[in-house]
Amino acid sequence: MTNTDVQPQPSSSDNQVKPSLEHTLSEFQDCIDLIHRSYPELHIDLLFFGHQVDHDRLYQDIMNPLLSGETEAIPTILKQSRFIRVRDSKELIIGILSGKAAIFFLQDAFLVDVFGVNSRAISQSETETVITGPHDAFTEQAGTNLSLIRQRIKSSHLKVIKLSVGEITKTDVYVLYIKDIANMDYVNKAIERIKFIEVDALFDTNMLLQYIDDAPYSVFPQFLTSERPDAIGSKLIAGRIVGIVDGSPSAFSAPTSFFEYFSSSDDYYQRWMLGSASRLLRFIALIITLSFTALYVSITTYHYEMIPENLLLTLTESRSRVPFPPLYEALFMETTIELLREAGARLPTKIGQTIGIVGGIVIGQAAVQAGLTSNILIITVAASAIASFVTPAYVMSASIRLLRFGLILLAGIWGNFGLAAGVTAIVIHMSGLTSLGSSYLTPVAPLKLKDWKDVFIVAPFKFLTERPSQSRSPNKVKNKMKK
Amino acid sequence: MQEKLSPFHVAILVYMIQSGIVMYRLPQMLAEHFGTNGWLAIIPMFLLASANILLIGAVYRLGNGVSILVILEQSIPRFILYPFYLIMSCVWAMIGCLISKHYVLIFQMVAFPTTNPMIFKIALDVLIFLLMTKSIYNISKATTVFFWMLMWMVLLLFFFYKDFHWSRLTPFIFQGSTLTIDGFFNVYSAFAGYSLCLFLFPYSDKKTKLIKAVLAGNLITAIVYIYFCFIAFGFYYYEQLKTLQFPLLNLLAYIQLPFVQATENLLYGFFMFSIIITAVMYFWSAKEISKRMFPISDRLLSAIILVAALGFSFIPDVISEVDQWLSYLGYAELALSLGLPLGLIVLLLIVRKRGAALNE
Amino acid sequence: MSKDRVTIGLLVLLIFLAGCGDQRILERTGFIQSTSYDLLPNGRVKFSISLPKADPEIKVSREFLTTVALSGKEARIKLARETNLMLVSGQLRTTLFGLSIARAGLWDHMDTLLRDPTISEQAKIVIVNGDAHELLQKNYKEYPRTGQYVDRLVEKEATGHTIPLTTLYSFTRDYHDDGIEPVAPIVKDAGQNIVVDGVALFHGSSYVDKIKADDSLIFAFLRGNFKHGEISVDLTKDTKESKTAMLSSLASKRKVDVRHETNGRTTVNMQVSVKVSVMEYVGKFRLSNDAQRHTLEQQISEIMTNRAARLIKFLQEKKIDSIGAGIYVRNSMSYRAWKKLNWYEEFPNVNLQCKVKVKIKDYGFLR
Repeated sequence: MTNTDVQPQPSSSDNQVKPSLEHTLSEFQDCIDLIHRSYPELHIDLLFFGHQVDHDRLYQDIMNPLLSGETEAIPTILKQSRFIRVRDSKELIIGILSGKAAIFFLQDAFLVDVFGVNSRAISQSETETVITGPHDAFTEQAGTNLSLIRQRIKSSHLKVIKLSVGEITKTDVYVLYIKDIANMDYVNKAIERIKFIEVDALFDTNMLLQYIDDAPYSVFPQFLTSERPDAIGSKLIAGRIVGIVDGSPSAFSAPTSFFEYFSSSDDYYQRWMLGSASRLLRFIALIITLSFTALYVSITTYHYEMIPENLLLTLTESRSRVPFPPLYEALFMETTIELLREAGARLPTKIGQTIGIVGGIVIGQAAVQAGLTSNILIITVAASAIASFVTPAYVMSASIRLLRFGLILLAGIWGNFGLAAGVTAIVIHMSGLTSLGSSYLTPVAPLKLKDWKDVFIVAPFKFLTERPSQSRSPNKVKNKMKK
Repeated sequence: MQEKLSPFHVAILVYMIQSGIVMYRLPQMLAEHFGTNGWLAIIPMFLLASANILLIGAVYRLGNGVSILVILEQSIPRFILYPFYLIMSCVWAMIGCLISKHYVLIFQMVAFPTTNPMIFKIALDVLIFLLMTKSIYNISKATTVFFWMLMWMVLLLFFFYKDFHWSRLTPFIFQGSTLTIDGFFNVYSAFAGYSLCLFLFPYSDKKTKLIKAVLAGNLITAIVYIYFCFIAFGFYYYEQLKTLQFPLLNLLAYIQLPFVQATENLLYGFFMFSIIITAVMYFWSAKEISKRMFPISDRLLSAIILVAALGFSFIPDVISEVDQWLSYLGYAELALSLGLPLGLIVLLLIVRKRGAALNE
Repeated sequence: MSKDRVTIGLLVLLIFLAGCGDQRILERTGFIQSTSYDLLPNGRVKFSISLPKADPEIKVSREFLTTVALSGKEARIKLARETNLMLVSGQLRTTLFGLSIARAGLWDHMDTLLRDPTISEQAKIVIVNGDAHELLQKNYKEYPRTGQYVDRLVEKEATGHTIPLTTLYSFTRDYHDDGIEPVAPIVKDAGQNIVVDGVALFHGSSYVDKIKADDSLIFAFLRGNFKHGEISVDLTKDTKESKTAMLSSLASKRKVDVRHETNGRTTVNMQVSVKVSVMEYVGKFRLSNDAQRHTLEQQISEIMTNRAARLIKFLQEKKIDSIGAGIYVRNSMSYRAWKKLNWYEEFPNVNLQCKVKVKIKDYGFLR
C-alpha cells in the first residue's frame, strides 16, 4: 500500500491502476453515503454504499464468515466464488457504484455482490392497461425486468447481452434475443448502434431510442416500446430483438413497423373475432384522428357542396355565430383539447379526472354558448381526440396527434387539395423510413400478404403459423399444429 | 444494401404510371373516337401495349438485364448519344410536369376557380421532389401504399349498378363515329408509361421477373379501364359521353352518401396519389438519363430538372393548351417506347455478332 | 437530412402564398337550393332562387330572390347584388321549370346546370303546371319551406313510382339517347298545398303533353321495372262481382319483344308482369278461393291492359316514345338501318302491344 501511485483522476491516464484503499477513498471523497468499515486487527477494510446493499446479505455473506474466524482462515474464505478478486481500480470503483461491497484484505481487493435496492414493487402498467391477460408490468429495475421475461421464456436460447451507456450515468442496457429465432443482423446492428452512443447521461428507453433510430428527424417512433412483459415476450418469440434500459420501466423491441403500433397484446387474449374487430377499429380510429377535424375545416371553408342537405342548416346555424374562420376555430379547439390532455397528464389522477370533466363539459359548452366555436366542431374535435387515445402505443398516438395539426393547417389553406397533399407527404415520408434497416411499412410495402392476417386482423390461431416476415427469422414456423 | 424490386411492386408501379390523367377522359375519348361500345377498343390497345412490352422484354433478355444506358454508351460515341439523351430526358420531364399541371388545373376548375394554379403546382412539385430523391425501392414502397389507397375506389362502381342498363350499351360495335389515327393514339396514350420499365433493368434481378411483372401491371390497367369504361357506357349513353369533359368526375359526383355528397371533391384528391407516382416516375427516368451526362449529386440534379420543368410549365396555362402539349409529347413518348427497344435490339445484335466475330 | 429541412421550409413558404379568394365559408354563403325558370312573353327569362336561412337572429326560414335576365348565370350575378351572402349553386336540389319555358325547350337552360362543376347531377327537375316563380314564391303554411317541400314531395312520390324521379342525370341521359324521350314530374299549386299533377312528356327537351296522375303508374309499368307502388283499381264498370281493389307493394317486370314483320312493319310486344298484394277489396269474391282469386287477377289484368293500350295510343298520337320502345327496336336492328329510320316519325306506325299480367301474392289478414 503506497501512496505514490495515487492520482487525482485515476480513471484517465493509466488503465491498470492497482486497487488500493486510499485511492478508492480519495475517489469517493465527500460521498457521505459511502460506508467504510475498518477491522485493523483482521487487515480487512469494507467499502460499500449503505443504501445500495442488502444488509441481510451483507451480514450473511461477508460479515459473519469473515469476522467470526481468525486472520488465518480469511484467505481460505476469500477463495469462495462469491468473492471476486479485482485487479483494476476502475473496475472496483464501478463495482462499488453498482452496489457491490469492496473488501480490502492486505494487498488484495475483492468485490461481493450484495446489491439490494428497495425498488417499486411490480404493479400494473399505467400507460398500457389491458382488460384480460397478465397485469404485471416492468419496473425501473432492469434485474426485475429481466426476471419477468425469463419467467415467461424459459429457454436457454434467450440470450442477454449487457452494454453500458452514459459516460457519467453508466446505465446498463441489455439486449435480448432468442438464438436461432432472431436474425443476427438485427442483433449486431442494434448492439453496434448502442455501443456507438457517447453521451453523459441516459435515463429512459425512449431517450436511448432517439440516439439509435434510423431517421432522427422523423415524427414517427421507430422502435416499439412497451411496459408489458407479455408483449415484450411475444416480440422475442416473433424473432424481434428486445432492449431493456436500467432505470426505465419500458422495454423496446425492433425491428418494428407502423402497423405494429396498432396491435395490443390483449387482442390475442380474446376470441379472434373480437381481437380482429378491435384491431380494425383502431385503424378506423387512425383515419378519424387524422382526418376528422381537417375535413371539417376543409368542408366548411371550401367544399360546401359536400355537406348533405340535412346537415347543411345545422352546420350553418352552428357556424353562424362564430366570429373566426373555421381554421382558427379548429386550431383553437384542438389546442384546448391538447392543453386539457397535458394538464390531465401532469396532475394526480384524481385531479386529472376533474380537469377532464371541467374541460370537456364546461369549456365545451361555454365555448359554444359564447359563440366561439360551433357545436359540430366540438363533436368533431372530441371524436378525433378520443380516437387518438385508442392507439395502444402512447408514443404513436402522440405522433399522430401532432401530424393532425399539420393536416388541419393544410386543409385550412388548400381544402381537400391540402388534405390530399398532406396525406401524400406522410406516405412519402413513411416510405423512406426504416427500423433497423427494414421497411417501416411492412407488410404493406413491401407487400407481404401472409402477414396481413396477423396485422390488420387476428386470424384464428391455427392460421398464425409463421413469424412476421419483417423479423427475417431463420426459423419461420412458430405454430406446428395441423390445420 | 441495394434491394431489388419484387414482381408485385413492378406490376403496380406500371399500373400507377399508366393510370393518370387520361383516365378522367377515357370514356369520352372512347365514345368520341370509337362510338358505341367504345370500351371494347381497350382490348386491342392492351394487346398492342403488351406486344410493345414483349419487345422491351427482348431487349432485357438480349442484354442480360444490363442497363440500357450502359448498352448505348458501350457502342455509340458520347457526342451522338448526348443530344439524344437530352431529348429523352426533356420529353420525360415535360410529360411529368404537364401531368401534374393538368391535374392541378382540373382541381382548380372544380374547387378553386381563382387561386393561382401554380401555387398548387409548386406544392405538388415539392412532393414530387421528396419522392424522386428517394431510391426506386422506396418509390415502389410509396406506390404500394398509394395503390391500396386508390384501389378501394373500384368498389365505388357498385353505386352505378342501379342505373346501369344493358340495353343502353346497344349491340352495335364502334358505330356512330369515325376513327382517326390521331384519335387512336390519343386513346392509346392511356397505356403509355410502360416504356419507363426500360430503366428498371438495373434494379431488378431474376426474382423480379421484370417483364412478366410489367405485363401483369399492364393487365391490371386494362382490367380497371375496361371495368370502368364498361360501367360508364352502360350508365351514360355514348352520345352523352361525347359531351362530357371528364366523365370520371361526373361519375364520382353521382355518388351520394348519407354523410357526404359531391364526393368528387374529396375523391378527386385521392387521385393525387396516382398523379404523383406517374409524375415522379417520368421525372425519375429523366433524372436517370441526366445522371449519365451530368454526374452531380442526385438531389441537386432532381432539383434542377424540377425547376426547369416548372419554368416550362408556366407556358401552357389553360387545360386545352396543356392537353395539346400532352398529346404532342404523347406521340414523342410512343415513338420512344417503340423506337428505343427496336434500336437497342439492333444494337445488341450487332454487338453480339461483332463479339462472335472477335471470338473466332 | 438537410433535405427535410429544405422541404419544410418550402412548405411553410407556400402556406403564405395561399390564396384565400376561393374560400366559401359556410355562414357567409348563400346556398341556392331551388331555382325556377319562367319564360316571359318578351323572350326573357324570369329567374328566381330560394336560399335557406340558418341565422338564428333572422326569423324567416328562407330568402327568396327574383330577377329577369337572359340566362341563369346572368341572373345570378344580378341577384348577388341583392344579398349579403355569396351565392353558390353547389347545393342545388330542385329546379322548377314553368310550363311556358318547358314548351319552348329546356336545353338552353340545362347548359348552365350541366356545365357548372359544382352542381350535382342528382339535382331534380320538376315541371310546374303554371308559373314556377309563383309556386316557389308562395309560402305554404303547413309545410316546410317551399323549395324543400317540392323536393321532398317529388322524392317521396317517386319512391312509390307514381311519378318518375327525374334528375339532371336522367333527363340528359334520355335526351341524348335516341331510343327514348325524357320525362319529368309535373306539379301544380292547389291553393293550400302543392299537388303532383302527373308526368310531363318531352320531345327532345320541349314539353309536349302530360299524363294524368291517375295513369302515371300504368306509365311506370311501360317504362321499366320497379318495386314498390300502389294503385287503386275501379272494378265497378267492368265486372259484376267487385267494386274496387287497392293493390299495394307492386313489383313490376317488363319484357320487351321486337319483331320485324315481312311487310316492313315493326311489332313491339310488351309483357308486364305485376306482383301485388291486396290491401283493400270490396266485392263478392273470397280471395282465399283459388278459382275466384284467379278470376279477379284476370279481371284486373284486363283492365290494366286496356288502360295501358289507351296510354300507348295516346303516346303514339303525340309521337313521343317516352316508354323507350325505341331502345329495343334499335337494339334489334343494324346500326345503318336504325340511322336511316326516323324513329320520331316511325313510332306512331309501330304495332305496339302491351299485355299486363297481375298476380296476387298475398291478400292480408282476411280470407
